Amino acid sequence: MAKKSLIRRLAAFVFVLGVTFAVIYGLFPWMTHSFDPLTRMSQSLNETGIDPSRYYYTDVEQVRESEQYLRGVLDQ
Amino acid sequence: MAQESNIVIDHGRSKWSDLWKKEDYLAIWLGFAIILVSMIAYFNFGPQADFAQKIGAADQIQAAESSKAPFKTIAWHKAQDDKGKLKASGSAFGKFVGHWTKKPGSWKTNPLDAFVRSEGQAKAMNEKALPKYEKAKAVSDAALSAALTSEQAAAGAGFKDTALNDEAKAKIADWRKAHKASGDAKKKTGNNPYNYIPTLIGLCIFFALIFGLGVKLMGENFTSFVKGFVLVFIVSVLAYMLGGQAVSKQYGMGAEAWGVLLGMIIANTLGTPKWALPACKVEFFIKTGLVLLGAEVLFNKIIAIGVPGIFVAWVVTPIVLVCTYIFGQKVLKMPSKTLNIVISADMSVCGTSAAIATAAACRAKKEELTLSIGLSLVFTAIMMIVMPAVIKAIGMPEVLGGAWMGGTIDATGAVAAAGAFLGEKALYVAATIKMIQNVLIGVTAFCVAMYWTMKVEREAGRNVGAMEIWNRFPKFVLGFLVASILFTLIDSNLGKDMGTAMLNQGVVKGGTSLFRDWFFALSFAAIGLSTNFRELAKYFKGGKPLILYVCGQSFNLVLTLAMAYVMFYLVFPEITAKI
Repeated sequence: MAKKSLIRRLAAFVFVLGVTFAVIYGLFPWMTHSFDPLTRMSQSLNETGIDPSRYYYTDVEQVRESEQYLRGVLDQ
Repeated sequence: MAQESNIVIDHGRSKWSDLWKKEDYLAIWLGFAIILVSMIAYFNFGPQADFAQKIGAADQIQAAESSKAPFKTIAWHKAQDDKGKLKASGSAFGKFVGHWTKKPGSWKTNPLDAFVRSEGQAKAMNEKALPKYEKAKAVSDAALSAALTSEQAAAGAGFKDTALNDEAKAKIADWRKAHKASGDAKKKTGNNPYNYIPTLIGLCIFFALIFGLGVKLMGENFTSFVKGFVLVFIVSVLAYMLGGQAVSKQYGMGAEAWGVLLGMIIANTLGTPKWALPACKVEFFIKTGLVLLGAEVLFNKIIAIGVPGIFVAWVVTPIVLVCTYIFGQKVLKMPSKTLNIVISADMSVCGTSAAIATAAACRAKKEELTLSIGLSLVFTAIMMIVMPAVIKAIGMPEVLGGAWMGGTIDATGAVAAAGAFLGEKALYVAATIKMIQNVLIGVTAFCVAMYWTMKVEREAGRNVGAMEIWNRFPKFVLGFLVASILFTLIDSNLGKDMGTAMLNQGVVKGGTSLFRDWFFALSFAAIGLSTNFRELAKYFKGGKPLILYVCGQSFNLVLTLAMAYVMFYLVFPEITAKI
């Protein structure tokens, strides 16, 4: 890596970043618009405001709502 | 996650100075300092007394309503809603911490929206969302009116007419649905203007100081760390920005994934500057974050859906974890035990958080953590979309589908998304099962740390003494467990409503989890900046990690479905009927 010139490293950086962005911000939206289940999932996420990238339960508001609902119906 | 010696040492090496010189202890002290400040601020200067009064009043209403009617009346639900509104994070301290730990926000087309939102933009967003909210509110009001009429009719008959009671119950259920939809729509009308740039600069300085102090205590150079930390922080901020984009979020690519990806792109194209490497303190950030995560691991949550939930989340999961690990060792002959256990835990327990905890507990290499989280992200995105579609197509009941998804999809956000897509009941069951499973990471981290200390890192044919176990045991796991036990006890003592209002919606959401999130983001940026593509590729050789994940997840899918069916439909059908 250190042997390459700055120009080549910059070009590589721009290229890899460009490809990554093209996939995320080009291919993914295209897939969302082109395939029905993905479109409906996207609409559902917009309506509910759920963020699928959150990994722990305390980060997801819907978990608290679900717990409260179940506590109510199960009379806990 | 440097792998030092793999053999348990024979003599004790613990020193008193470890307490202020070793990373594990420093992570514990830093984590507990944040926990302590949050606890003091919320419990000594927070709204606990006011909350106690409000919860008491709501409890009285609910008790009176419960004794009056054989179903949950409108007044009962309103009292419940009042309790749900109590959030300690709304106090002055909560607002202060929330303001200074803000992350770049969500955006759709302009990345600058993640950092700055003008008053005009906020107003336009609110105005755009207003008609939908007004419509939802009108529906909710109409549903409430119908529910009131039905409830009055049932009350007129002294709540003794079953038909009238059932009708009132159904109308109240309709109102609750409409009320929730109205609440969701209302959230979108409350956009405020912001400029996160000054607070991000302040936060960078604060983090550089606290971690810099830790680094100095470890005997390293404070100035070198601070210089490099600026780059690590910038990569984390950019990762938050990229992960906040609507499409990226939709596919489950949040700040953690972007931190690794962006860091790796920089490291493998431009090359991470040498001056930034002293700040790539992956373990220090992760361990401190994990101690804080301990405050969110509440063992009393495991009874949230009764015995079926415990079986689906706490019986199936360890079986899958152990079987996948054995399969990886005996059948696939995985060259790295640490990679094997990290993938097994990541896939069977709860994705990223379990992977982080397990990797730190067994001292896995950072490339192994990156690889297992990468696998988890890909499969989570696929399962989040495919599973609800399959469940709908074959006509599986929502409760069963929810339990199946909750026990198998890795990330909690993705579980909630898939559950909501399938239906309301599926969401409730899926999210709760996942929450119960999330709690398992405390046990997993402890067991993995013990197993590694006593078995994996032991020299063949030798017994491991108590002192050796202590020397090798990753101490931060103790901090993580102590935080978890402490918060579980406090939560149980406070009672459900006060526990939610003061701990979950105060100390955690208005304190510890804000820092925990940042610390994990910093660690992932640091992982990316110090990871070589070629090194990473070595771990993927032969596709064994992929095979391990696919086989383990297939087993998980079959066993979870079978257990969910047995528990929710054969052993405890009465619980399913109530849901």
